[in-house]
Amino acid sequence: MNSAQLLLAAPEFWVLVMACVIMIVDLFLREERRGIIHMLAMLTVIFAAIITLRGDFLANGLPSASAFNDSFIRDPMGDVLKVFSFVLMGLIYTYSKFYLRNFKMFRADFYTLSLFALLGVMLLISANSMLMMYLGLELISLSVYALVAFNRESGRGSESAMKYFVLGSMASGMLLYGMSMIYGATGSLLIPDIAEAIRVQGSDDILLIFGLVFVVVGIAFKFGVVPFHMWIPDVYEGAPPAVTLFISSVPKLAAFAMAYRFLSSGLGDLHIHWESMLASLAILSIILGNLAAIMQKNIKRMLAYSTISHMGFVLLGLLPGTAFGFGAAMYYVIVYGIMSVAAFAMIILLSSRGVEAETLDDFKGLNQRNPYYAAIMGLVLFSMAGVPPMVGFFAKLMVLKAVVEAGMIWLAVSAVVFAVIGAFYYLRVVKYMYFDEPENETSITAPVDFGAALTLNGIMIIGLGIFSSSLITICMTSFGV
Amino acid sequence: MLTLAHFLTLGAILFSLSIAGIFINRKNIIILLMCIELMLLAVNMNFVAFSRFLGNLDGQIFVFFILTVAAAEAGIGLAILVVLFRNRQTINVAELDDLKG
Amino acid sequence: MIVQELIFYAFSLVMVFAAVAVITVRNPVYAVLFLVLAFFSAAAIWMLLEAEFLAIILVVVYVGAVMVLFLFVVMMLDINLVPLKEGFIRYLPVAAIVAVAMAIELLMVLWSRGRFGVDMFPVPPPHSADYSNTRELGELLYSNYLLPFEVAGVVLLVAIIAAVALTLRTRPGIKVQNPSVQVRTRRDASVRLVKMKSEKPRGA
Repeated sequence: MNSAQLLLAAPEFWVLVMACVIMIVDLFLREERRGIIHMLAMLTVIFAAIITLRGDFLANGLPSASAFNDSFIRDPMGDVLKVFSFVLMGLIYTYSKFYLRNFKMFRADFYTLSLFALLGVMLLISANSMLMMYLGLELISLSVYALVAFNRESGRGSESAMKYFVLGSMASGMLLYGMSMIYGATGSLLIPDIAEAIRVQGSDDILLIFGLVFVVVGIAFKFGVVPFHMWIPDVYEGAPPAVTLFISSVPKLAAFAMAYRFLSSGLGDLHIHWESMLASLAILSIILGNLAAIMQKNIKRMLAYSTISHMGFVLLGLLPGTAFGFGAAMYYVIVYGIMSVAAFAMIILLSSRGVEAETLDDFKGLNQRNPYYAAIMGLVLFSMAGVPPMVGFFAKLMVLKAVVEAGMIWLAVSAVVFAVIGAFYYLRVVKYMYFDEPENETSITAPVDFGAALTLNGIMIIGLGIFSSSLITICMTSFGV
Repeated sequence: MLTLAHFLTLGAILFSLSIAGIFINRKNIIILLMCIELMLLAVNMNFVAFSRFLGNLDGQIFVFFILTVAAAEAGIGLAILVVLFRNRQTINVAELDDLKG
Repeated sequence: MIVQELIFYAFSLVMVFAAVAVITVRNPVYAVLFLVLAFFSAAAIWMLLEAEFLAIILVVVYVGAVMVLFLFVVMMLDINLVPLKEGFIRYLPVAAIVAVAMAIELLMVLWSRGRFGVDMFPVPPPHSADYSNTRELGELLYSNYLLPFEVAGVVLLVAIIAAVALTLRTRPGIKVQNPSVQVRTRRDASVRLVKMKSEKPRGA
């Protein structure tokens, strides 16, 4: 291995080094100078994005390159996902600083653990062997378990962390069992070698199919689709919103990359088998997610069920197994990350000192309290509901197009029907904001950087919608469409 | 003669037992954590057996990493358990119904 | 050959028995000890599979460290055992059905069409006496598996940070020593020379 190969992992090394630097710097900082930690973390993600973009993959369209005995792969898809992870991370840090300061949780552990989770996301995006997938996944999971219990005085936080931990470890066990079967059937841990072995032996192997079932269970859990969704509402409700910001966005990008590499690059010859599994998972998620969201009084649980239905759409994009479908799913998952970060930023904004915004009633009369933020929340909700010209509409459109092209009309039709039903609960919040009297008259103020980030987020939601072809082109060219 | 199937069968029995354990001990988190350890042991058994009969060491390497990660996982799981116990004075999940789901 | 089979069946039986005990005994301390037994038997079976290094690691690291951690936590938390028994009987039938169904399915796959028979996976000849499993693993670990090895280090670091961040707390009113302050102390801080007139013995 030469230095050029080592440099492929430069963004990962940078994030790892900075996570350790932040941990050490914090030891020498006084309480009132913690702001430096925040600056360092922002610097980390900005430079990570620059280092990633300076790689030749996006600029010159290099197909891919691998390092570390092929277990690490760098390609345009991975780079796009990583850059968007960094963008989302920057937004998340800006939003969460406000929350952490308000709730007296502004500690360096949050930054260290979340940077390690980001490192896990990057490694999982680039993982080209089952071993790296497992390690990346566990790096994310372990950091996130700790982050969910980050508020040590909160019984709800530790309770949801415990539930998440037990279910997550079970899912990892399932995934590993599947991996052991696939290793047994193909004799290799590397994704390309697995694909090659299946090509040679043929895909009609009961051991492979058995392994595939367990792997799909593991992936479904990480996406949080029905029936492996039990953890999502509890964790969204129990975790501090600063952590939910992260959970609901960045790891989903990594889950997409993992699903693509494992199912398409590795087990592509088993497509007919995983297509039907993903189809049932997807449609169940869209149905249950949208119906359950209508019942919720708690905004966090409502967003949790909405996540479940959105992840159903991502699976819809994955299941045709076509390059266009993968591009659409990737577009959807990025767009979802941008929307969900904005939605949780609004919850943070509405949480006044010591009291978290929880119920839908907190949104009542938001327009009278602060018309600007109400307008941004309106954008987010319309986008999630899939109303043009917001970006969420185009995401749904692309996915449905991929499904229809693959000839699964009934799947597309039922997805549309339930998406329309789902629009109801988004629009209900809009009604609360504009037509109801506020229960709490105090005006809403936020620090300058928070407002700027939220404005940027809003611009992304509408701008990427109006100029939708830009991001769509980036996603599609990653898969050579 | 001991064939691969012998070892895989043992792994499968262990795996099923761990699933059963998760069902039975829904209320006792500490036993749940032990069931997860059992599940990983079943997986490791599979990997070691395949590794031996395929004649390549990749499976054993994987087990090495599973053991490492499982140790880290146990550490964090028990830390969360301790925090939970401090907040609630119980690890009984039956009382943990603040969150329905 | 027959000796190997005897060893395999003996340890397998112990292991399955221990696993059943882990999931059914009420007292978590017993459960931990049975889990240790299961790990020991697994280590013996891995020896049969010529995975010597992993067998040793399983005993030294897993039993020696992780299980002891479990024991510590079980004994540290003053767990009330009575409510933990609830629901055991209620869930038992469901669990038994699920487990048996699952085991049958798995076994059907395993024993189907001779997928794992001697034709597909011939029994490999034993390694020679000078074969070093540890050496082979080490050579792979530090060459092909360099990146996973580093990442595993990061995972352990995260575990340390997380465990400290979650459980370390400074309780008010606890008297602790601070060595650096103790070392840095100066004579002036604790010794004060007071000038005073020397006393004269009375009646002199």
